[in-house]
Amino acid sequence: MQESSSTSTQPTALEKVIAFVDERVGLKTLQAKMLNEPVPGGSRWAYIFGSILLFIFIMQAVTGIFLMFYYVPTADHAYASTQYIIHDVDYGWFLLSYHFWGSTAMVVCVFAHMSQVFLWGAYKKPRELIWLVGLALFGLVMGFGFTGYLLPWDQRAYWATTVGVEIMDKTPVVGDFMARFLKGGPTPGQMTLSRFFVIHVMILPAALMGLAGLHIFLFRKAGPAGPFRGSVEELKVKSDYFFPRQVWKDIVGMVTVFLSICAMAFWEPVVLLEEATPDPGDYHPEPEWYFLFLFQMLRLKIFAGEFGQFLGAVALPGAFMALLAALPFIDRDPERNIFKRPIALIGWIVVMATILIFTVSAIINREFLD
Amino acid sequence: MTDQETTSPVKLALKLLWFTFWTGFPIKLAFALLFLAMGIINFEARIGLGFLMVLASPVTVFALPILMMGLDSHIGEGVGIGLLFLLCIPIDIWAYGVVARTYFLDRLRLEPPDGIGLSLWIKTAIIGALYLPILWLVVGFTTETGISTAHSLFETEMLKWVPIAERIGIELTLWGTVSTAVLLVMLLIGLSIIGRVIRSATTGAQPAQENYQRRVMRWDLMRVPADQGLMLTAFAGTGVVLSLLFWSALPVTTPHPHECCKKPEVKAQPPYKPLDALNKDEKLITQLTAQLDELEKKKAEEGTQGKNKGKGKAGKAAEAKADSKATAQPAPKKP
Amino acid sequence: MQPKLKSKVRAADREIGEVTRVIMDPLSREVSHIVVSMNGSGERQVAMAHVQSVSDHLVELRSAASEILALPAFKREDFVTTHEVEIAHLEENIHVTPGEVLVPFPELEKSVKRRTFFMNFTHAIGFLIGLPIAYPVLRYLMKPMYQPFDNSWLKIGNVGKIKQEDIGVQFKYKKKVKEAYMPEAEIEKNVWILKATPAVLEKVYQGKDMEFRDATGMSVWVNKKEVPYIAFSGKCPHLGCGYKWRQHKLLGQVFLCPCHLSIYDAAGKVLDGPAPRPLDALPIKVSASGDVQIVDMEFKAGTKAQIRIV
Repeated sequence: MQESSSTSTQPTALEKVIAFVDERVGLKTLQAKMLNEPVPGGSRWAYIFGSILLFIFIMQAVTGIFLMFYYVPTADHAYASTQYIIHDVDYGWFLLSYHFWGSTAMVVCVFAHMSQVFLWGAYKKPRELIWLVGLALFGLVMGFGFTGYLLPWDQRAYWATTVGVEIMDKTPVVGDFMARFLKGGPTPGQMTLSRFFVIHVMILPAALMGLAGLHIFLFRKAGPAGPFRGSVEELKVKSDYFFPRQVWKDIVGMVTVFLSICAMAFWEPVVLLEEATPDPGDYHPEPEWYFLFLFQMLRLKIFAGEFGQFLGAVALPGAFMALLAALPFIDRDPERNIFKRPIALIGWIVVMATILIFTVSAIINREFLD
Repeated sequence: MTDQETTSPVKLALKLLWFTFWTGFPIKLAFALLFLAMGIINFEARIGLGFLMVLASPVTVFALPILMMGLDSHIGEGVGIGLLFLLCIPIDIWAYGVVARTYFLDRLRLEPPDGIGLSLWIKTAIIGALYLPILWLVVGFTTETGISTAHSLFETEMLKWVPIAERIGIELTLWGTVSTAVLLVMLLIGLSIIGRVIRSATTGAQPAQENYQRRVMRWDLMRVPADQGLMLTAFAGTGVVLSLLFWSALPVTTPHPHECCKKPEVKAQPPYKPLDALNKDEKLITQLTAQLDELEKKKAEEGTQGKNKGKGKAGKAAEAKADSKATAQPAPKKP
Repeated sequence: MQPKLKSKVRAADREIGEVTRVIMDPLSREVSHIVVSMNGSGERQVAMAHVQSVSDHLVELRSAASEILALPAFKREDFVTTHEVEIAHLEENIHVTPGEVLVPFPELEKSVKRRTFFMNFTHAIGFLIGLPIAYPVLRYLMKPMYQPFDNSWLKIGNVGKIKQEDIGVQFKYKKKVKEAYMPEAEIEKNVWILKATPAVLEKVYQGKDMEFRDATGMSVWVNKKEVPYIAFSGKCPHLGCGYKWRQHKLLGQVFLCPCHLSIYDAAGKVLDGPAPRPLDALPIKVSASGDVQIVDMEFKAGTKAQIRIV
């Protein structure tokens, strides 16, 4: 940039400071390298979901830290402190509702991001490792949702967790150990709350930050895959840099997600049920909406019985995740145009439709529970 | 760079509507959020549908009031919904303009005519107003029929044994597929109508002369304002004002309190009116003094009767009278 | 073909200069053009199509010098260097450095044995830093996981409130628990007791007294099969939810669990649903006056075998 001035040739104080830092850090080069990443075919709205996920994670961490100013993770204070946040702390209800709906937004965007990568064939060579790390990140996000859900210690939280951990118990050989480890004993109680809290606020965030960093590093190393069709000339004409165009699109996406989460916080603020008791009473346990499809699947007759429950809850989802992990190694065809990959397209539609049908079925099934 | 003059009307409509929707969406969302905070919007159960419809204007902007009035489907209450619709009009016209100009230059190699945003908006809003109620009725009817057919299918002897969870899943798949298919077909028809309208808008346009790179640069730079300082300041300023409104409107405590922690009802004290109080008191005093006088008169009569019986008694009665009169006197002077 | 910077450039007829710069196509990552100095008469951008052969210090063009001179001049402002832009996979594709830059290799580092020894020793020490902590940490985390059982008898009510036979009656009671450091708490629990007719008793006991053992195999209690009262643990053996006594439209009066719709008859046998085993019976003592006592046990949910956990 030209900062020519006819009256003075001395650099301003700010310019001197920048030059000082740049000489020692290589700031200008670093900035250029980080921001001037060429996006083949130009920045696209379809690519925003990765950055949006990063944004949502940061918002969750920030709101989560604020919640920790008042929340107490013990069985005798968890419920009361959460109610305190909702009713007595100024705008506490809004922060908690934002944190709650943020987790929903995270899951929605994870599905969008994974779908985009899958449909664009961006898991193929040389991007296999990014895909694998991404699958691990997906597991972490599900773990966040599962562990965070217990913390308010109301009936919904307690029972959804109990049922979820019991399902994990079905895994042969290690199931009992894993379930006792998570519960901190044979039955859910204070030990469970402490463990879920540590996992939710320390272990998972550290793991997520590490893996997300690795994910972004691998992505930059491999470069963006770009669109799957378009003539060479079109791609060349529209090529631009990550900054400012893709960053601009990412920010608009972030703003939209931010506003949407705030709107959800208004429409359905967090309302707790009664405090957790060892007897569910009239309450019908249910997990969070993004686990509902699994919950409904386990109601089918083919998954009845001990082995059936293991099959439906652990083996089948596990096999599906293994299939996803193996995907870049099975699908070696370099073709990335989704309209020329019929198996991939139909597979995606079938999986999404199945999840949707089972989720809606679970909601309909509520009427039949009495 | 492909020759886009042979694009199907459906693709044309889809491209333009999709991008116009998303272009306007964040702005509408900001206002919707403000209205939610102010409590002037209350969406009812079909939140997703309602919200999308409000924000999926331009096609819905006239259709939605028709649907709400004519077909009795309520998406919510509050003056904010109407306000939001009014706001959607300029936002959509602007968004249409941006998207249409981009598309004309990039794909159609045509010069975008002036006022393209407004003319497109009028046409699609009217089409939406006429077509969407039809779509609503058709899809609604199909869905209802589908649901009841699926239900009755599982009431038959052949299929009564199917357990609940499986039954729900299969029923849902059956009527869901049918309804989705009908919805898609209706949408395709609607899009094709809009696509033809858009295509007729292109017939009058002049071809653009420059090469592809220059045309891309044109629509790209179209988004950079001539006076950056002014635009950014105005944008930031508006954002600050909206945030301030949001802060003042945001409820401090939860709008859905739990049984455990409802705030106690504080009854406001009736306002204290000094003049009235004074008048009331004065009236009371005069009333009481009158009563006292009557009592004294009575006592005096009894006293004169009792004088014949004994002076002591009379003396006492007289003293008592005098006492009571003495006590009676200062009292009215007190207030 | 990878022309080297500073190598001489010769057109078909004569030498015209040297390679001053190399231009790469970021999409295909191949060299697309070279910039030739033209010996001072203005750099020219020459497409690789003009290049016939490349050797270590010479680039030969197939066109004549005059053709090259007629090419448009090189415009530096139309390009950025690879320091200012991150091109993925650059190093694998382009090798245009003019030779290598070397630094001396220290004598001490030349010994391979030395390097491998210290590397392995570092690994060993690192491992040994972790090792002593591993076992205590494992025990630390596992402390609350396996608890001894409490086999005390709890008074929970009187059978006087059971009016009919073979009907499930819920008995709610409070149990004192002390978990770790938490203050002693009373939790509400419930069991379902029924006064069983001989037919139902037979279904439950199947001719044998019910024996309860502890972890070492010692007998804790025996439910005699003649005692007409049966107590079922209030937790469904499927996943631990609390179940109810309900009227089912097809199966009559049954125990029904709302979570996954497991259905049991009065004897606790599974009629429908995902329950892996029948309802768990508990040790029960009924005094002459009708006071009921039970040993509060909990069993692992979701398994075919009955495994006690509390």
